[in-house]
Amino acid sequence: MSASDLRLDQAPPFTVPLRFFLTAPWFALLAAALLAWQGPEALASRWSPTTLALTHLFTLGFLAMTMLGALMQLLPVLASSPIARPKLVGGAVHGLLTLGTLALSAGFAASHPPLLRAALWLLGGGFALFIAAAGWSLWRADRANPAVWPLRLALMALLVTVVFGIIIGISRTTSAAGSASAHWTDMHLAWGFLGWVGLLVMGVAFHVVPMFQLTPAYPAWMTRRLAPLLFAALPAWSLGLLLAPQHSFFTVMANALAVVIGLGLAAFAIVTLRLQSQRRRQLPDVTLRFWQLAMTSLLACVVMGLALRFAPGNFPRLELMLGTWLIAGFASSAIHGMLYKIVPFLTWLHLHEQNVRGTLPNMKQIMPDTRTRPQLWIHGVALLLVTVAILHPGFWVYPAAATLALSYAWLGWNLSSAYAVFRRHVMEGLINPKM
Amino acid sequence: MPSEHRLDARGLPPPEPMERVLAVIHALGDGEYLRAFLPHEPLPLYPLLQQTGFDWQARGAGDSSCELFIWRRHDDQARSAVRHILDGV
Repeated sequence: MSASDLRLDQAPPFTVPLRFFLTAPWFALLAAALLAWQGPEALASRWSPTTLALTHLFTLGFLAMTMLGALMQLLPVLASSPIARPKLVGGAVHGLLTLGTLALSAGFAASHPPLLRAALWLLGGGFALFIAAAGWSLWRADRANPAVWPLRLALMALLVTVVFGIIIGISRTTSAAGSASAHWTDMHLAWGFLGWVGLLVMGVAFHVVPMFQLTPAYPAWMTRRLAPLLFAALPAWSLGLLLAPQHSFFTVMANALAVVIGLGLAAFAIVTLRLQSQRRRQLPDVTLRFWQLAMTSLLACVVMGLALRFAPGNFPRLELMLGTWLIAGFASSAIHGMLYKIVPFLTWLHLHEQNVRGTLPNMKQIMPDTRTRPQLWIHGVALLLVTVAILHPGFWVYPAAATLALSYAWLGWNLSSAYAVFRRHVMEGLINPKM
Repeated sequence: MPSEHRLDARGLPPPEPMERVLAVIHALGDGEYLRAFLPHEPLPLYPLLQQTGFDWQARGAGDSSCELFIWRRHDDQARSAVRHILDGV
């Protein structure tokens, strides 16, 4: 390869993904504050207004925020296809998502329909812009690239998730308030967690786990077949769920597909854990621990999900627990693992690109283990305390909220510190900042 | 006589191979080049090389890793030594 083959403007400016990464932890902190403010009532059931506000502060404010920022950075790298006008698109998507998430959560918490309607416009606009920009980028990407299909499918799943979310939102804000059936909400959740989050984590893991953790490559059958299989199972499963009340055949179909999806996700988690145990450099690594926690949580979620599907009766506590472990155990832990690699790496890379004079810090100096390792433990303790709080709402809600707040504030502080290292070196040694 | 600096960074996670490459190349003298064995092709490194006045040539090392040659842009002696290796002369 020669210089002429390269598009040096491919990677977005540092500020494009960074604004998403630096904002995200504060939404989780806000969720912890809301949990502490509302107390045990917040965990009454998955349908309580406060729980809906909490859920969306985490899923939109923390998960989607980091995932959209990461995709803005990863599309040029993984799919060799950058998003056009990244500063403009990134800034607009970030602004709309930030305002929309705040409006939606406040609208849920205060049961305020005008706020919810405003949120639907803001979030709908933000996601539409992102899906159009990322979709155009992935449309032009090389089909032979194995990263492209999981990303395309994840983006399509995001589109379906957003559409279901808007339909449910409209039904809540119109005269037919609260008419959205549990099935529609379940499909919104399934497309969000299994499609969008699951396929994106999978598509990214297929690349970054072998590369950053020095593991053997994922087996070819998994990288080629698993994402399309799961994606194909989702609409069929949704259809089965919708039509299940009308004919027992569809119940059987929905159950069979739930098993297929569960086994697929479990296979991904087990293969990832196995590959990580075979890594070439057996040194302790915080990001590896976060990934292991994410995969173990995913396995626990598969067990809980299948138990909920097949056990007779209602288990509202188990439903809450499944949601919590999907968000805080699986998705959030994987995102921690990604952020603690990608943020110091981008800081390091952009420092070198700035032609800063003098000795530049290495990755470990930008994000020292002494700061990330304690956060891993706090994150783990927060996860356990939230689990206890779900089982015994009451006193335990408060320590759970406090450790959640501490964990995400710590994450936010670590990420901000990396950016502070970048700013300090640029200010001290630099010539022409290309921000 | 051109002199070859060898670096085997195949067992290191990103960006340690890039960190080591950058540490070596800035000390290259006349006629000297770096021959680095890396776990994969270091795409983010190339813009840095271009900006800081280096040329490079990469080829597969046979086990999905990458063999990368780097020399100072106007060092014809180093360039021709690398060409000889790549052409199998």
